[in-house]
Amino acid sequence: MTDGPLIVQSDKTILLEVDHPLATEARHAIAAFAELERAPEHMHSYRLTPLGLWNARAAGLDAEQVLDTLLKYSRFPVPHALLIDVAETMSRYGRLRLEKDPVHGLVLRTDDYPVLEEVIRARKIEPLLGPRIDPMTVVVHASARGALKQLLLKIGWPAEDLAGYVDGTPHPVALLEEDWKLRPYQQLAVENFWAGGSGVVVLPCGAGKTLVGAAAMAFSGTTTLILVTNTVSARQWKEELLKRTSLTEAEIGEYSGAVKEVRPVTIATYQVLTMRRGGLYPHLELLDANNWGLIIYDEVHLLPAPIFRMTADLQARRRLGLTATLVREDGREGEVFSLIGPKRYDAPWKDIEAQGYIAPADCVEVRVDLPRDERMAYAMADDADKYRLCATSETKTAVVERLVKAHQGEQLLVIGQYIDQLDEIAERLDAPVIKGETSVKERQRLFGEFRNGTIHTLVVSKVANFSIDLPEASVAIQVSGSFGSRQEEAQRLGRLLRPKADGRSARFYTLVARDTLDQDFAAKRQRFLAEQGYAYRILDAKDIATTG
Amino acid sequence: MSSIRILTTELAARSDNSLRSLLAARPDLISPPVPDFAALAARACARVSVARALDHLSQPQMQVLEVLHLSTNEDLGQSASAGSLKPLIAGSTTAVIEAILEDLHARALVYRAPDGSGFLAVSSLKDVIGLHPAGLGRSYPELVRTQPLVGARLLQTVQALHRFGAGVESASTALEAALAMQSWVSAPGLLEQLLAAAPETTAGMLSRFSAGAMGAVENAQRTVRPEAADPTPVDWLLARGLLIPLDNEHVELPSDVAIVLRGRVIIQEFTANPPAPKLQRTSASLRTNAALGAIAELLRLETELLSQIRNTPLSTLRAGGVGVREVRRLADALRVDTELTTQLLELAALSSLLVLDVDTSRWQLSQTGWQQLPREQQWLWLATSWLAADRAPSLAAQWASRNSSPSAPSSPAGLSRSSATSSPSGTAGGTGPVNALAAEAHRPDAPVLRQQTLSIMAELSAEDTSNPDTVPVLDEAAILSRFQWRRPRLARRLRRLLAGFLREAELLGMTGSGSLTVVGRAVAAGTPEEALDVLRKALPQPLTHVLLQADLTAVAPGYLSPELTAELSLLAEAEGQGPATIYRFSPASIRRALDAGQDAVRILDFLGRHSATDIPQPLRYLVEDTAARHGKLRVGRAVSYVQSEDDGMLRELTQLPALKHLGLVPLAPTVLISRVGSRELAAALRSVGMSPAHTEADGGVVKVPKPSPSVVRSAGPARRTGGEAPAEAEIAAQLAALRSKPSWAPSGTEAAPQLGLEILRQAIRLKKSVNISIVDSNGNHDQQVLVPLSVTGGRVRVYDPEREIERVVSIHRVMDVELADLPDGKRVTQ
Repeated sequence: MTDGPLIVQSDKTILLEVDHPLATEARHAIAAFAELERAPEHMHSYRLTPLGLWNARAAGLDAEQVLDTLLKYSRFPVPHALLIDVAETMSRYGRLRLEKDPVHGLVLRTDDYPVLEEVIRARKIEPLLGPRIDPMTVVVHASARGALKQLLLKIGWPAEDLAGYVDGTPHPVALLEEDWKLRPYQQLAVENFWAGGSGVVVLPCGAGKTLVGAAAMAFSGTTTLILVTNTVSARQWKEELLKRTSLTEAEIGEYSGAVKEVRPVTIATYQVLTMRRGGLYPHLELLDANNWGLIIYDEVHLLPAPIFRMTADLQARRRLGLTATLVREDGREGEVFSLIGPKRYDAPWKDIEAQGYIAPADCVEVRVDLPRDERMAYAMADDADKYRLCATSETKTAVVERLVKAHQGEQLLVIGQYIDQLDEIAERLDAPVIKGETSVKERQRLFGEFRNGTIHTLVVSKVANFSIDLPEASVAIQVSGSFGSRQEEAQRLGRLLRPKADGRSARFYTLVARDTLDQDFAAKRQRFLAEQGYAYRILDAKDIATTG
Repeated sequence: MSSIRILTTELAARSDNSLRSLLAARPDLISPPVPDFAALAARACARVSVARALDHLSQPQMQVLEVLHLSTNEDLGQSASAGSLKPLIAGSTTAVIEAILEDLHARALVYRAPDGSGFLAVSSLKDVIGLHPAGLGRSYPELVRTQPLVGARLLQTVQALHRFGAGVESASTALEAALAMQSWVSAPGLLEQLLAAAPETTAGMLSRFSAGAMGAVENAQRTVRPEAADPTPVDWLLARGLLIPLDNEHVELPSDVAIVLRGRVIIQEFTANPPAPKLQRTSASLRTNAALGAIAELLRLETELLSQIRNTPLSTLRAGGVGVREVRRLADALRVDTELTTQLLELAALSSLLVLDVDTSRWQLSQTGWQQLPREQQWLWLATSWLAADRAPSLAAQWASRNSSPSAPSSPAGLSRSSATSSPSGTAGGTGPVNALAAEAHRPDAPVLRQQTLSIMAELSAEDTSNPDTVPVLDEAAILSRFQWRRPRLARRLRRLLAGFLREAELLGMTGSGSLTVVGRAVAAGTPEEALDVLRKALPQPLTHVLLQADLTAVAPGYLSPELTAELSLLAEAEGQGPATIYRFSPASIRRALDAGQDAVRILDFLGRHSATDIPQPLRYLVEDTAARHGKLRVGRAVSYVQSEDDGMLRELTQLPALKHLGLVPLAPTVLISRVGSRELAAALRSVGMSPAHTEADGGVVKVPKPSPSVVRSAGPARRTGGEAPAEAEIAAQLAALRSKPSWAPSGTEAAPQLGLEILRQAIRLKKSVNISIVDSNGNHDQQVLVPLSVTGGRVRVYDPEREIERVVSIHRVMDVELADLPDGKRVTQ
């Protein structure tokens, strides 16, 4: 027993004392097999999950090393049951292997006869398998590779995928590192990804995920399909690739509602892929249109369910998932991992901030009191209307005005959920609104003007939640949100995190009506960021004038 | 001469040292103290004491004793020496047997025959050792003598065999037939020859009798002839008298046959040294890690359990014990499974941390001060209580885990779970579930078995010194096999309890990773106090600070002092499971603290004092905001009220000294409340000249919290009482007392009834009559010559040859017994 920085709990969480001299060393050691769960200021907590342990096995770590790490850095005795559990869990990985057989193609092979017997008897797995070659080997339908892996994971016998990847059509891409360099963590992320084959890279908003994608393309040197959330984001990717890589206009195609180009590097939106006509997905062919050597999923936490299913068929191609907030309100993070691949790189937001690559942010929750009449209306409203009533309180509008005044001269976003509320605020502030019905062209014009400082204040709806690059925005005021969505809150803060030219810190206000559902949802929404170490100050609306 | 008399003389002649070692080995001989050597000898020959002594014999000792028993006859003065026993025990040497006999002699289980030729076993051994010593049946003559149905049948068989020309002597009585069979089967080479001609499966069938001499056979008394063609093995054996039907369902293999089958030895496998099991190994550091982790966890959970029960005592079922619903409630609160919860409960109860309040039938906290003790002392309390406990907690815990299947794959990386967890032991012997804290888990022999198990574990660990970095894993099978060798007669009882013992030992940190720990060794050596030093170093000092974080949590990075824990548990919800606890603050938890009489200033002051860092702004805001809005509605208790529009008059009332006892308090303008009933209030007001109108108010009743339940005082942890070696001083006092008395003074002492009984038993065996002096209900003595038939339950059944009747005499009416000198009186026929 040492006086180490870790406390290993019997409920399979690991606490890391951040201020301990060995903290960094220990963090690197456990990051390989434990998932970072929360990162508040003093004690970070990690969780040991079967998935994490199996990923560690996949990355070449064995149980002995994991146990040694735990015992080495732990301050107190490590619960023995947990050690046994870790060893047992890790020993399950690799008993089954997916291999390429020169004669039979894809096969599932084992050294442990009973395991194979158990697996082929599972009702859902049976249809995915072909004939039995010998007692230890069974043929797998090539298209079922992803589905099989997913199901095996579910029943606790994860298969080691040794079948490799298709090479894809070669298409050289080079990074043009003239006036910029790949940051160390980006470099590390790409290397980890490439070493592991496929997987997810988690980086905070504004930390340059696009560059990780570009660097991966350079590594791959093949044709690439990039899947993004919306058209604006697609255009941003294109601009960024043109600027940072050797790719030219002619090599990059856009495949969206408006344009349908298939080129060596094609950027497609999730929406167009999942568009359904007469029970068919007409644009799915895109996935097979080219012998893609790499598929990049931007904002992988938003991956829609049909894409999930399609991805299951793409297991022979390298896949890179990019996200800032791998939390899904539907709790399907596990599926992302099993279909795209394990998490290959993850950095706490505060770490990147400490390195100066994202702007520090100051989060403030402003509590407003509902006026008496609104409180009565709220008390008597149906449950379905309650959130809208409190979230769109008129007093919020007044507070927004005060805040805007306080931050005069800074680039400021007002973000909200309810269009009526946004329209009203825009009118009072005399600022333009971007919402769902705003055309792509108009959006790009307004974003452009905001970027170059022609307009200072922009009122946006949830269309600006993701993938919109507004480097100069430094203040955001959130007036309402989609109920308790954790990742929305984080993504909205993310709009402010591009480092500012003058090193200013960003300011994120969220307005909350006291003693209402709004307050409960706000607490829920803030959890992700709180766990990343962003502490919300709480202010009363009446104190604004003095502190703003 | 009777064994008691001989033993008396022998004991009196022994040296003090020899007596001392006898008394240390058989402490029950002087508990309570005995007056003289005769009484000591009588007690040494008593059935209970002999049975207890046999429990402490090892396998070779038992084997030698059994063989001695089989090859001697007390009544005929037939003794045996090491030399004569050696041929009967395969793999033995005279020296080893000699040593064992000396040891048995030292334990007063055998005595030297008066002629000095060899040893004899004490007479009550026969009753204790059972019908089938060494797994052998009875001999032909004995079967004829004791089994009423055997004689006639054997005679028929022998005659048939004789006619068949098998080479058996002919016989005319049952006893002659028995003797004829005996000499026939033991003729050299004969049985082997016979078996060679037997049906094919006969040998396999006979081998089944190696463990027990009896077997079940349908229609065992069928008539079978030796000349019958194509017989079944059973028919073949029955026809040759090699299997003897006892009744229509059971057969016995006579010992004469079995000994020949065993190669003319009684014991086929004899190991003077215990078998050394092959043990897996685990690393020493893993072991220490596991044990210290277990101890810290146990103490933490036990503390939490107690604080849960302090708030809500556990109710019991009508059938006894605590029901599954209560256990589940506790398990949820502790965030552990029901099996562990049951074990924790049992441990708390047997350490008298919990007591049953007989008035309410609820288990509640006893006032032991355990929670205020330093942690190593807490552990010592639990460990010593566990050692002394006459309960088997795991019997109750087993059912709790019946449905949870153990995980299958073997654990790699040199880790091992205590083998106990991997073997799904059955429920309490098919008697159905045992509820937690129910009387069914009571096992009086548990302390002895526990102590023996621990010392065997210590022994196994001590034998293994090959590599200091790794330590042996003591699995259930290894312990059991060593136990079987060391204490064969206790092993059977241990079988069901061992898994539970191991689990409990693991919980208490006596084993870690399946291997005996330093702590465990100290406990096994009977000095758990020695473990305290180790624990004091290993269990860190309690912390007095927490880390407050902006996500409204406080992390206690280790063991918190109990006071701080109590205070924090009020302010926040505890989360997590393990050495560190996370406390999460929420409006509800802060409100709870405010309800308990705290205020914002005090809470913040407390947090500030015990925080390693500043109080984060969100937490400060939460406390202040909740406090500011706390108490917008107030609830209180008033028994009656006074209402008047005249505020001045009300103020006046509150000032009147005569009304002070009413406790009048202005609640709002125009309303006073009082703590006395409305009738009394009205009367008091009238007495000062007011004329109140009495109105009945209808309002809700405000429930008041119940006062905390009373606690019952308990003295301290239970210590072992019985079963231990007596103190030196006790032995010395006893020896002095013995030496001061003449060596033989049977009458009027404790030895007398024992002696009388021994004579009666001897007479029964020899079918002799006795001179017996009986007192009737009027106190008259009467001397008679009677033939005793059996002795049981304090009564002797006798046959009166003069009146030719059987009757029953209470032993306590028998004043004196001696064997009748008349050479065979009248033969008893039944």
